[in-house]
Parts: sequence; structure tokens; C-alpha cells
Amino acid sequence: MTDRLRSPGTMIATLIVLTFLYAPLMIVVLFSFHSSGGLSLPFEGFSLRWYEDVLLKDEFRAAALNSLIVAVATSVTTLLVGMLASIGLSKVRGRARPVLGALFFVPLTLPGLFIGLSLLVWFSRIGLPPSLATVTLAHVVYVFPYFILILMAVLTRLDPTLEETAADLGANPWQVFQRVTLPQIWPIMLAASCLTFALSFDEFIITFFVIGSDSTLPMYIWSQLRRTVNPGINVISTLLLAITMILWAVAFIALLRSERRRRASVPEAGKGVIA
Amino acid sequence: MEQRQGHRLGPLALTLPAVLGLALLFVAPFVTFSIYSFLTAGILPFSVGGPLTFDAYRSVVESEVNRALALNSLWTGLFAAATTVVVSLPVAYWLRYAAGSRRNLVLLLITATIFASYLVRIYAWRSMLGQNGVINSALVSLGVVDEPLAFLLFNRFAVTVALVHIFLPYVVLLLYAALLPIGPNMLEAAQDLGAGVVRRWTRVVLPLVAAPAGTAFVFVFILAAADYVTPQFLGGTSGVMLGVRIQESFLKSGDWPFGAASALSMLLAFLALYGLVVLALRLTGLRSIRFAS
Repeated sequence: MTDRLRSPGTMIATLIVLTFLYAPLMIVVLFSFHSSGGLSLPFEGFSLRWYEDVLLKDEFRAAALNSLIVAVATSVTTLLVGMLASIGLSKVRGRARPVLGALFFVPLTLPGLFIGLSLLVWFSRIGLPPSLATVTLAHVVYVFPYFILILMAVLTRLDPTLEETAADLGANPWQVFQRVTLPQIWPIMLAASCLTFALSFDEFIITFFVIGSDSTLPMYIWSQLRRTVNPGINVISTLLLAITMILWAVAFIALLRSERRRRASVPEAGKGVIA
Repeated sequence: MEQRQGHRLGPLALTLPAVLGLALLFVAPFVTFSIYSFLTAGILPFSVGGPLTFDAYRSVVESEVNRALALNSLWTGLFAAATTVVVSLPVAYWLRYAAGSRRNLVLLLITATIFASYLVRIYAWRSMLGQNGVINSALVSLGVVDEPLAFLLFNRFAVTVALVHIFLPYVVLLLYAALLPIGPNMLEAAQDLGAGVVRRWTRVVLPLVAAPAGTAFVFVFILAAADYVTPQFLGGTSGVMLGVRIQESFLKSGDWPFGAASALSMLLAFLALYGLVVLALRLTGLRSIRFAS
């Protein structure tokens, strides 16, 4: 059916866009393996020397460890607070619902510059010195709306009769959550957590304003970018690309699974609870 | 029934940690930030004092540097947003109506780049467009040009290219989602009735995607115009934007009221633009077009 609308013009446009999106990234990855360290063509041969160079640097290791700490703390905090908030929001009725919805999603509409500046002023006002803790708090504010957005898409489609049936049959709220709600939403929570981890791991715009003397991987890249051209940046960039893209792939697969499970298992899940 | 009544307070209680967190880390900071824009910078850098005045806003409006930078942000934002939307339209169209079995793969490839690090993209474009960059060395070795082209990097063009690269995948996804509820039968009908490519686009596709395309335009404009990192690395002296100056007044010069007033003026301009786009869509009647398919 779709074949009737063949459209060579838009296909060429798509190919150009794919090239435009991937060419610069592939160049960075390619030059990270460059034996000479030169950043221009022609390519002179493969080597892992720049990887060795970067991985042995203490500054790089410290930055990578900090990024990991912040991203784990951010995604775990967001998971706990966001799970409660999204379940609450999906059940709230009446006047509170649009108010909560607005509060939860407004941070998404503000460019990072404003969130970063507001927090810089606020933290200095209340006397909280910049550290990895302030970075984590800032990241939670930034990733929270994304987490809620993804979870709400699934929670609003859940069949409420399942939970009601379980409650009518005597399950307490915790049992309802653990036996009925959680099995239905955990893949989507995993996907959302991968996303929040990746967003935090790669965040620069807000981090720049609330970080003190510590460094994170994006901060490290930024400081390297300000210096002269350095083949090590290709390596760090490639590693960062690999980490965020792998997380994205995990999230994508988890989402596909959750969609398939939802389609396939709605009737059986009902039976399971009743039986 | 009594149990149900008890449960009604439950959902609100669940949102409590999030509400408190956002109150303390989003609402209060933003209100404080806004108040700072009405204060006056002290004698020492990074210090502020009262009474509440419009002085900071006055110096923002009167500063010629600010005006020039704001204009730069405006143009860069407009170019980036227009290019992104125009380029995304045919891709979204192809994905929705002509991709066939390749749809999922291409969708996957495009969305994957959303997660390509922001700073890495900026760096990647610097190595693409630079004096000894990939494009120049390719052009020189192919004999297309004798000297490397100097106009590729350190100007508004380079900033715009990188910003389009950053926002393109989001907009393709947004427009594709907007086309999803519109079945191919409408376009097939137009085709069967003898409408050529141009008429199918102007009479069917564009009116249907006008509203989401307007939203996407505003989304890209706001994020592009508020960017302070891309112009620092790719803009050179001619491509500096307002965001860079705002950032500097907070971290370098230490005049916080001036920075806060500049930032909030920018936010007001964004709101005005959003209002204009909504108004334009409403006046042309494009906002209300909906098809059940």
C-alpha cells in the first residue's frame, strides 16, 4: 500500500540527512585510531596509541569516575522520586492534576542556560558550595521531566481494572504495586533510567554553572577543546559516543520489549491476577 | 467504599517528594534569579544590593553590545530553526509514506544520533570545517580549490551547521509523529485525482503539518538562540551570541543583576515569538486542521 507513494526526492533528502548526521561523528571515531595524530586527510594508518595515552591520564580517569558517580546518583534519585511522582500523577484527578503536570514539565521548556544560572544564584544564596552534590541535584531537575514523560506514556495506558481487581481481592497497596503495577512498568522504567543516565553522563550546559573544582567527562572535553588541537579529544569523544549510544540501544530494546509484552500479555496478565 | 476514599489522598502523597524537590530546586531558584535582575551590582564583583530597580534592564536595553549580540542570536536562531524544519520535512515524509521495510532501520539510525554527545558534535564540526579540516583537505587534494576555504569556520555559518546537526533528529521525530495519524490514503486520493508532487505538498502535506512544524520551529529557535557553547567554539568573533555574554557576566565580570536581566529579557523575547507563531497559525486557520483517518 505504501509502495504506491514512491518518492525519490524525499529518499534522496533522507540519504543526504543521514550522511550529514553521521559523517562528522565517523570522522571523529576514525581519527581516534589515527597513527600519526594528524587531524586531516589523508588517513595514514591505524593505531591504538591515543587510547593508551588517554586512558593512562589521571585527569581523564578522575573525570570519568566523577561522571559515573553523578550519573548513577542522578538516575537512581530520579528513578525513586520519578516513579512515585508518575504513579501519583497518573491517579490524581481534579484540579491538582493540571497543576502538577505543569510543575513537572515546565523545566523541559526552559533552555539549560536558565536552569544552570538559576541554580548558580540559588546555591550561592543558600550557601551551598559547588560540588558533585550540587551537580547531581541540578541533573535531577534537568532529567526529571524526561523520566516522567516516558513513564506517563505507559502509565496512562495501563488497564486500571487490573489494580482495582487486585485491591478488591484483598491486596494491600504495596502488594498491588509489587505484583500488578511493577511487572507492567519495569521495562519502561529501565529504558527511562538508561535515558536519564545518558543525559546526565553527557550534560554540560547546566553542569558548567554548578560544578566547583571537580571535573566530569564533558567538562574535561571542554577544557581540552579550549587548548590547541589534541588527538586525545577524538579518543574521549569516541568513548563518550560509545557509552551513550550503548545506553540508548539498551533503552530502545527495553522499550520494544515492553511494547511487545503489553500487546501480547494484557489478557494473560488479567487471568494471572485473578487466579 | 471507605477504602477507596482513603486511597484518594494516596496519589497526591506520592507526588510529594517531587513537588518539594522542584519547589526547592526549580521554583525557588528561578524566583531568586528573577529578583536578582531587579537588584544592583555591588562595588565588589559577584556582590549585589538593594533596593529593587529597573536599572539592570535599562543598561541591558541601552547596551549596544547587547543589542548586537541579541541580533546575532536572533539571526542564528532563525536560520537554524528554519533550516532544521525545512530539511526535516522531506525526511519525515519519506519515513511515513515511502520508507516501507526500511522505516525502522532509518528511524533507529536517526534517533541514535540524539544521544551523540553535544560537545563531541561541536568538536566534530570544528574538525570538519577547519582550515586543515576534512572538507578543506578533501577539496584541496581533489583539486577543486587551490587554497583552503577560510569562510567555513568561525562565523555564523559554522554555528548554524552545528546547531542544525544537534536539533535535526528531534525535529524529524516530531514531524514523523505528527504525520503518523494521517493515513497515506489522503495522498493517494490526491494522486489519483491528478495532483502532482508540488500540489500534493502545498495542498495536502504542508497544511497538515503546519502546526507541528511551527512548534518544532519555536523549539529549535529557543534552544539555538540560548546556546552559549557552540558560538564560543565555532563562532569566532563575528558569531558571538547573547548567551556567551550572559554566561560571562555570571562567571567572569560578576555583574549578576545585568546577567539576570539579560537572560530574562531573552526569555521574554522567546515568549513573544511563541505567541506570534501561535497567533499566525490561528489567523491562517492552520491550527484547527484535523483529520480522522
